Amino acid sequence: MTLPREARRRAPVRFERRSQMPWAMRLIVPVLAIVGGLGVGAVILLIGNHSVSGAYQAMWQASFGSSSGFDQTLVQAIPLVLTGLAVTVALRLHIWNIGGEGQMALGAIAAAFVAFHLQHASGPLLLLLMFAAGAAGAAAWALIAAIPRALVGLNEIITTLFLNYIGLLLLSGLINGPWKDPTVVGFAYSKPLPNQASLPTLGSSGVSIGLYISLGIALVIWWLLDRTRYGFSLRIVGGNVRAAEYLRLGVRRRIVLVLMLSGALAGLAGVIEATTQSGRLQEGLTNNYGYVGILVAFLARRQVIPTVIVALLFAGLLNGGDALQATGIPSSIAQIVQAIIIIFVLAGEAGGSYRLVRRGRPREPALAPVAGGSQ
Amino acid sequence: MNFWITALSTGVVLGTPLAYAAVGELIAERAGVVNLGVEGMMLIGAVVGFVVAIKTGSVTLAFIIGALAGGVLAAVHGVMTINLRTNQIVMGLTLTILGTGLSSYIGNNYGYQALSHTLTPVGIPLLDKIPWIGKIFFRHDFVVYLAPVVVVLIGLVITRTRYGLWLRATGESPAAADAAGVPVFLVRHVAVVLGGMLAGIGGAYLSVIYTRSWSDQMTAGRGWIAIALVIFASWRPLLILPGALLFGFIDALNFQLQAKGVSVPSQYLSMMPYVFTLVVLALVWTRQRRRNWGMPLALGNPYEREARS
Repeated sequence: MTLPREARRRAPVRFERRSQMPWAMRLIVPVLAIVGGLGVGAVILLIGNHSVSGAYQAMWQASFGSSSGFDQTLVQAIPLVLTGLAVTVALRLHIWNIGGEGQMALGAIAAAFVAFHLQHASGPLLLLLMFAAGAAGAAAWALIAAIPRALVGLNEIITTLFLNYIGLLLLSGLINGPWKDPTVVGFAYSKPLPNQASLPTLGSSGVSIGLYISLGIALVIWWLLDRTRYGFSLRIVGGNVRAAEYLRLGVRRRIVLVLMLSGALAGLAGVIEATTQSGRLQEGLTNNYGYVGILVAFLARRQVIPTVIVALLFAGLLNGGDALQATGIPSSIAQIVQAIIIIFVLAGEAGGSYRLVRRGRPREPALAPVAGGSQ
Repeated sequence: MNFWITALSTGVVLGTPLAYAAVGELIAERAGVVNLGVEGMMLIGAVVGFVVAIKTGSVTLAFIIGALAGGVLAAVHGVMTINLRTNQIVMGLTLTILGTGLSSYIGNNYGYQALSHTLTPVGIPLLDKIPWIGKIFFRHDFVVYLAPVVVVLIGLVITRTRYGLWLRATGESPAAADAAGVPVFLVRHVAVVLGGMLAGIGGAYLSVIYTRSWSDQMTAGRGWIAIALVIFASWRPLLILPGALLFGFIDALNFQLQAKGVSVPSQYLSMMPYVFTLVVLALVWTRQRRRNWGMPLALGNPYEREARS
């Protein structure tokens, strides 16, 4: 590709595209990426005169290495599973829902709105209504991007991205304005939600039943996408819009519905955050889960069960980074390691879709989707 | 009256980093590469520029190294998306995470330092005496004056020169450009790196001249505003200038209102750039569709010689 023409002709081997990465490589690439990411992180730590073992030990203890750390990791994994699923669902149609942040915010806003207006409802009923309102509010927010996408093809990446900022600023405006807690000075906190509007926790772990909710939703989504006719029809639309139109599959309707479902999933993440964290809305409620969800879904290759696993890994990394703050090592190292791991995975996947072939050996026609006419 | 003049004048200052970053993103996008890492590249430019300014005392050097730092980060995006053809959206978001993390790591010990020596505003003789206009436009520092010059020059190169034609051809149809002998991969790489350097300059302006200090995530979403600005300007270089003035003014108005103690929630004003962009986008898109609106046809698509088209 970048070699001069002469050199290419003489090279004894050449790269050839292959349609699928071998199974073993799919496992090796992420492992190597994690090792490589930690390695680069170690170099950066050394340059900054920080203790590598100290940093990584603290991160490990706070993420997977101790039971209290693992509980915290689960707490962060709950919203990540949902925002990851939100992106996964939309990606089945090759639609990029970048708007998880905004949809989380709208979910939390809608849920809080219900809670503030039904102060005296019983706990289970109130929670149920809050979840319904949060899902509906976030779905409606996603609809703003879905309708122009379905009708005139307006790029959903742009619209959902900007709707993030509008949604987050709306949340910020509410907790600094009409919903502000007058008794708290210096922090932007909303009034507290009613006491009964908090999700019960599992034993003394601090992990809420949101864990079961998100895993249950993941199962339902898996069933919907991979085990139903509807899920299969989404694959057709995502794979070939023209074929789908020829089959009268209702492409526009599916785009709108799937984006709304995607928004609702992210919205539920917002509701869970609002009903588990401090019992009120606050700045930073979304904690970038919407954006990290995009990376989770992409690395999980649009598959539901891997999305759950990758979400757990990312939660551990985020949580490990938070824990560094107490040790005096800049917690930004976790962000750097996270970014480098993603870059290595992306590069590994790009490299893995090629293989070295000796000149003169016939290619396997079934596996090579290479157009013959490039030369 | 004074209130509005101060707001407009600050708007020109705050529009400057937006203009640099946006015109950089515009170059990359006209070549067909979306880079959502603008925020990260601005942050890297800001922190590196600030550290260089503190260590050497040279503002020029600060801007040069800041621009290079932005360019290096952009080059990562270039290699990943142009050569390895990874997804531009995912890579751009990752670049923002990387830039945010790296800038915070580098700036860890610089949070409480202030720059004592930097560029000061210089009035342009005669022009700065014009009532109102003079104070709004002609009493700024050199980097502000340079912004419209850079934008116009880049606009001329894109629309009037052979290299601009290469750039546009690469962004519209890389296969056709390749067949015509345009070095498509080189054009995209240069465009992405230039874009990163301009984002770095925008970031360095914030830390070295505007606040004279470094704080974590000090760009405060301006990288995303710059991306909005490119779309707001419908990918036309000259429209970046009025757009940057408008978005900068909104930013400045916010500060002014807060300083005055007016209880308009600043969040609703901050929303405006995004709302404007969405509304303009929706209106024009429904009327004209993609072609006339100016979005490069191959935007976001990696080019692959071997692919069937």
